[in-house]
Amino acid sequence: MKNSANITLIPDPILQKSSPATHLSPTIMEKLTILADAAKYDVACTSSGVDRRGDGMGIGNTKSCGICHSFSADGRCVSLLKILLTNECIFNCSYCQNNCENDIPRATFTPEEICALTIEFYRRNYIEGLFLSSGIIKSPNYTMDLIYQVVCRLRSFYRFQGYIHVKAIPGADPLLIEKAGFLADRMSVNLELPTHRALKELAPCKSRRTILRPMRQIQNSIAQNKNELMLYRNAPRFTPAGQSTQMIIGATPENDYQIMSVAEGLYQNFDLKRVFYSAFVNVSQNPNLPVLSGGPPLLREHRLYQADWLLRYYHFTVDELLSEDRPNFNVYLDPKCDWALRHLEIFPIEIQTADYRTLLRVPGIGAKSAKRIVAARRGSTLDFCDLKKIGVVLKRALYFITCSGHMMYPTKLDEDYICRNLLSDKTQIPKELREEGYRQLSLFDDVSFGGGKHVCISM
Amino acid sequence: MYVFQCEDSIDGILTGIYDAWASRYGHKNIQLSSDQSGTLTLFSEYIPVKTDFEKSRKVARTLTERLGAHFYETICSSAMANGNCRALAMDKANAIYQTVVMALTLPAGAKVLDYLGEPCIACIFELRRQTLNEAHHLLEFLRFAELKTGILFSQIHAKNYVLPILAEHFTDRLPLENFIIYDATRRIAAAHPSGKGYFITDAASFPMELTEDLSSDETRLKNLWLAFFETIAIEARKNPKLQIQNIPKRFWADTVELKNKD
Repeated sequence: MKNSANITLIPDPILQKSSPATHLSPTIMEKLTILADAAKYDVACTSSGVDRRGDGMGIGNTKSCGICHSFSADGRCVSLLKILLTNECIFNCSYCQNNCENDIPRATFTPEEICALTIEFYRRNYIEGLFLSSGIIKSPNYTMDLIYQVVCRLRSFYRFQGYIHVKAIPGADPLLIEKAGFLADRMSVNLELPTHRALKELAPCKSRRTILRPMRQIQNSIAQNKNELMLYRNAPRFTPAGQSTQMIIGATPENDYQIMSVAEGLYQNFDLKRVFYSAFVNVSQNPNLPVLSGGPPLLREHRLYQADWLLRYYHFTVDELLSEDRPNFNVYLDPKCDWALRHLEIFPIEIQTADYRTLLRVPGIGAKSAKRIVAARRGSTLDFCDLKKIGVVLKRALYFITCSGHMMYPTKLDEDYICRNLLSDKTQIPKELREEGYRQLSLFDDVSFGGGKHVCISM
Repeated sequence: MYVFQCEDSIDGILTGIYDAWASRYGHKNIQLSSDQSGTLTLFSEYIPVKTDFEKSRKVARTLTERLGAHFYETICSSAMANGNCRALAMDKANAIYQTVVMALTLPAGAKVLDYLGEPCIACIFELRRQTLNEAHHLLEFLRFAELKTGILFSQIHAKNYVLPILAEHFTDRLPLENFIIYDATRRIAAAHPSGKGYFITDAASFPMELTEDLSSDETRLKNLWLAFFETIAIEARKNPKLQIQNIPKRFWADTVELKNKD
């Protein structure tokens, strides 16, 4: 546009109707850059878990499979407008670049600016909704109230029905958290560090107690809301997509066993939908923090996500995967392969007869293909060729299964033999180990769009 | 062998099913073909099928009533896939016909869709996945630009006939917007007037020059989005391979943020 000032004077009913009060200040670009940059280390950028049709009066709907709208240069999905409300902060957590002792440019959005950006991006199908986190400005209550104002304005003034994920600010008044929860789809409180001691060292202003309290509150509100929904179908829903949290991996010396045990505890005791793991990136150059020579511990993060999947969808427990004596995951093999090699006594498994839960234990068979196998074998006898079409990864599964009593190739049921063969296929070895120097790996080696669940890093 | 040659469209294939059924040649002696390449086999009689909406509607009603909406929806989404399932050496229309025959004759009914060991079912499964995967990708990567008239315009290059799925999705999502999704591969467009339903129309003579006349705010919002997109990536985790795996290159040209990247 040559002269945008003149053009905005032309009355345009459609433009005015669809974007009410879009008065973005001239510094909005700077604010967006600062506050998106400050939010990027939070990994929970998902839009899944809730199906909601639009009501025809406003804008937006949600899909339970989640929709990623783009993938940034690091390969992570961009689903929500992930920003901080402000990067001003009264806390001094040393792992965080926004800590009050850092000399960095600071910015704060007004609620209206965030709403206008969300709506305009959403209309263009850039994003699936809003992810709003914040530094602690003035006080936890003040911050939580600002977050509430944003969500409230989006839902009532703009009639926005897309996805909203907000942070519950530890230490804020429970009433404020509850009010925000009735408008948001998902809420999260970041645990940040898995143990009490690590938290004390790196985040002296936070404590386990202040973090767990809002988490418990959200859990209770969800449970209570379920009862209300049973009585009144149209009762307002409290965070229908549940709550999530994240832990930073590699900033403190905890082992995988400790981390996974904490995650398991969170799933069992707090009914969390997701626990996210974030490989530590040293942004603040604080002397208390480790310098990781190989870059962020991405392979470790990858293994934790794989194990997390096993906990949530494959009926594994942490004690089956790790123990005090073997507290860390095998870097060469994924946790499921590793488990299978230590339990060869239950293999090979017969595809025609094994039950669903047993099928789930086979490396190379996922939740979806296990379901398909159970349904398809009612119609006809399955052979290896059919399994391939169904989506089974045969190069991993072939050592552990039989079809009508036969194995695919003659193989030995021997730990060393299978391990050697699995690793002789170079694509099965993480690139980092293959090429030694610093390279990244894809988070999921089995990316398939089976039409339903969307596989992206941070689902 | 009698081969019914039908048009490569949902209505064409459903008409083919009607004619094949009505012919009473016996299911074992019948094949359907939507192959336009013109390769013929010896000793087969070829019967051209003229697409008839009345016949197709009747078949659609029978399938929905006897086998349920999910079965009919599965048949449609596999018919919307582009071309035939080459991996299985089976013609698309024929796979659909064989599936329908199976479902109507076996006691399992619509459950035959689970029998992935059967070649025709495996073919349907693959075709349906092809359509739905691309549709899902386009729900993600399709971008609207606001024209001066306030209309949201989007151009896509789809391999499969996914436009109805996209239009359905955005009609629910943006009920008050006027929007147009233009499929440049097929030269058809879905148009949605504010507050109403969408319709799909032939757009062979689409006035593309109108779509370059963007609203005053468009460039600024594009730049904001680009800035956000660049900022959100973590430098220490850079991984172009993973990025391409997640957003295949053929979609890049129609997005805003990856349009001018290589």
